[in-house]
Amino acid sequence: MAATMPVDRLRPGDHACLTFSDPHERLDILAAFVAAGRERGDKVMCFTDAISVDELRADLLERGLDSGPDVHVARVDRLWGGAAAPEAATMVEVLAQEVRKALGEGRSGLRITADMCWAARPQANAEQLLVFESEIGRLFADGQLTAVCEYDRESFDPVTLGYAARVHRRTVAATVYYEDPVLRICRQHVPPGVRVAGELDQARAGVLTDALAEAVRLDPDIHLNLNQLRYLDTGAAAVILRTAATLPAQRRMVVVCAEPIERTLTTAGAADVPALRMLVRHGER
Amino acid sequence: MVSADLAGSAPSRPTRNRPPRAASREVRRPRPDAPRLLLDRTFERTGLHALRSAVAAHAEAVADQQTADVVVLIAHELSSNCVRHGGGAGRLRLWVAGGNLHCEISDHGPGITNPGDAGRQLPTPAHAGGRGLWIARHMSDLHISTGDSGTTVTAVVSLT
Repeated sequence: MAATMPVDRLRPGDHACLTFSDPHERLDILAAFVAAGRERGDKVMCFTDAISVDELRADLLERGLDSGPDVHVARVDRLWGGAAAPEAATMVEVLAQEVRKALGEGRSGLRITADMCWAARPQANAEQLLVFESEIGRLFADGQLTAVCEYDRESFDPVTLGYAARVHRRTVAATVYYEDPVLRICRQHVPPGVRVAGELDQARAGVLTDALAEAVRLDPDIHLNLNQLRYLDTGAAAVILRTAATLPAQRRMVVVCAEPIERTLTTAGAADVPALRMLVRHGER
Repeated sequence: MVSADLAGSAPSRPTRNRPPRAASREVRRPRPDAPRLLLDRTFERTGLHALRSAVAAHAEAVADQQTADVVVLIAHELSSNCVRHGGGAGRLRLWVAGGNLHCEISDHGPGITNPGDAGRQLPTPAHAGGRGLWIARHMSDLHISTGDSGTTVTAVVSLT
């Protein structure tokens, strides 16, 4: 099985399998992949299934990526070209055509992301999935196609996931700084920073200190995504305030969070830290 | 315990809205304004997550979401103080009385040196700790009773 790597280590010609635990993680990694393709001059196509085309466009836009002539978002059934059911040979042919088209348009290559959850549906597509994943292999040989196939850990059985991991040369996953049953801290790619989900208190504040230290080292402004954080105590809030307060001049920390978290940060003294900006998401718990 | 109730009421006298006694031999009809005990449990360092869940479940049953969030935050901060400074363990009682939600945290630690000053000032952002009592004072009516055999802190939050 291929070694797991963060999305920013992918190279042209890679065929990677992305496994993810929650939709935000998937979108973050997707956005990083799209941004890297755009920077490189690739044509980018995102084939979506679990969420609609408009929703995915909006999610990318929220992360600063507008879909234009170089970034297409389409339903995954575009891959089987109007046929009633997914058929591996058609899908490989459709993608081969898209690669030729992208090169004809003067692009350096084609990169695609495809939500593979169609293969987990009851009409037993798993067989076509296995044929597709091994047949498409030949398209990667010359480095003009780069692909990330998305596998939701929730909707596939371990056998299929194991097979998917074997036919892909790479496995992409979030960089996890810390994980236990109540807390998960990951690297966020777009915008660059740290994402915290679950409950964070003083007992685990040390792992947040370490994750933020890396963000301070790597990122110009630090984006701390607390949207999925349900609880924050003042001990952990103090770590956030102290990191923001000790940033070099001109640098900022941007925190996105729900109202209860914002109240805690504010009461703990956020107003005394000019480098700290808070964006509050309303009505989400 | 040397009692020094900082809310201004006499320390030796029982407070008006004290928690109900657990059991009584004669059967009494509950009065509508009688204190109603919601939760009474001990905790230690590793149990704060479970304690928060229990307080949230009970508080959400009697209070709106924002008030419940406040009570969970205060309960956590006070019990976090207990496990760090108050001997590593404590007891939490949560009860409703007189239109208020009361949350009492007690321990058998060495006591607080300057209970009158504790948590009166917000530490600077560079300072790591000291925000627990501040936030509890800020968000509730806080009563501290402390001595060399332990500390009892009661936070009172209005339900109306």
